Amino acid sequence: MAGAISTNTFWTLWLLVHLLLAVGLIGALTHQAMAVALPVRRTAGGIVSRFRAVPAAGYATAVCVLWVLTFMVGSYIYTKYRIQIRIPLEAARYYKTGGFFDFKEHVAAMGLMLLPAYWYFWKNAQNPDFDNARKGVTLVLAAMCWFMFIVGHVLNNARGFAS
Amino acid sequence: MTTTAATASRSPPPSSLAASRKFGTFAITFSLAGPTVYCLTQFLNWPLFTYWPATGRLVWGYEGGRSGEGPNMLWYGWTVTTILVAGGLGLLAMMLPERVNRKIPLAPIWILPILMIPYIVYSLMPWWILAAK
Repeated sequence: MAGAISTNTFWTLWLLVHLLLAVGLIGALTHQAMAVALPVRRTAGGIVSRFRAVPAAGYATAVCVLWVLTFMVGSYIYTKYRIQIRIPLEAARYYKTGGFFDFKEHVAAMGLMLLPAYWYFWKNAQNPDFDNARKGVTLVLAAMCWFMFIVGHVLNNARGFAS
Repeated sequence: MTTTAATASRSPPPSSLAASRKFGTFAITFSLAGPTVYCLTQFLNWPLFTYWPATGRLVWGYEGGRSGEGPNMLWYGWTVTTILVAGGLGLLAMMLPERVNRKIPLAPIWILPILMIPYIVYSLMPWWILAAK
């Protein structure tokens, strides 16, 4: 990319890709979590009812693909974060921000480990034996995703690649 | 148009991979073991490799701080170690008889990651101590 765009622009573009994938993931997981936590009896109604009335099983593969892609892009930009972002953050005494980012990395890895069972439970949604586990895993993944999204957002506000 | 919660969240009968009981055993065991193995890997500090982002150097296993090479990164190594160990446990579980596999509990798959949170917060103590100073 040398010459075409600056180094900061290059990494900022990758961060944007990471963000866009995360937006897709959080949207899909939130729909699914709402559908399992607060299932609707009738689709007609307000925006909240319609939000909950999605065919949740259809999101499973997309959620897995989006989680893996977001994870991979995040892993790629993490190398740059370690040098260009974290060191200045520590120098500026943003220790809580740095700590929460490390928390986010652990949550991302644990979420990745849950995906095989999550996918299997949703692809066997007609099996009532998996109902509780499917609901639990979906809610945990949605909570993880929201946590990571907020931490990533705050971190970017504290110091983005273009800083 | 009226529908029920059941039809809103149900999918058609599974095909291929999703219909395979063996794959189900692998997936359930992998996800059951994954978060715990990850925390153990991190606690014992068993990364499969260490990455040095400033120099682009990759070393097998753990390598501590080296002068002039910048910070090291262990998270990639911990994650790959976890995938290999959890994957190995999943493969082992596939070899067990069906009657044993049916007894694998499902609830810990989502409960264990929640129970791991206090450990993760504890493992990040150096950050919180610095922040409190």
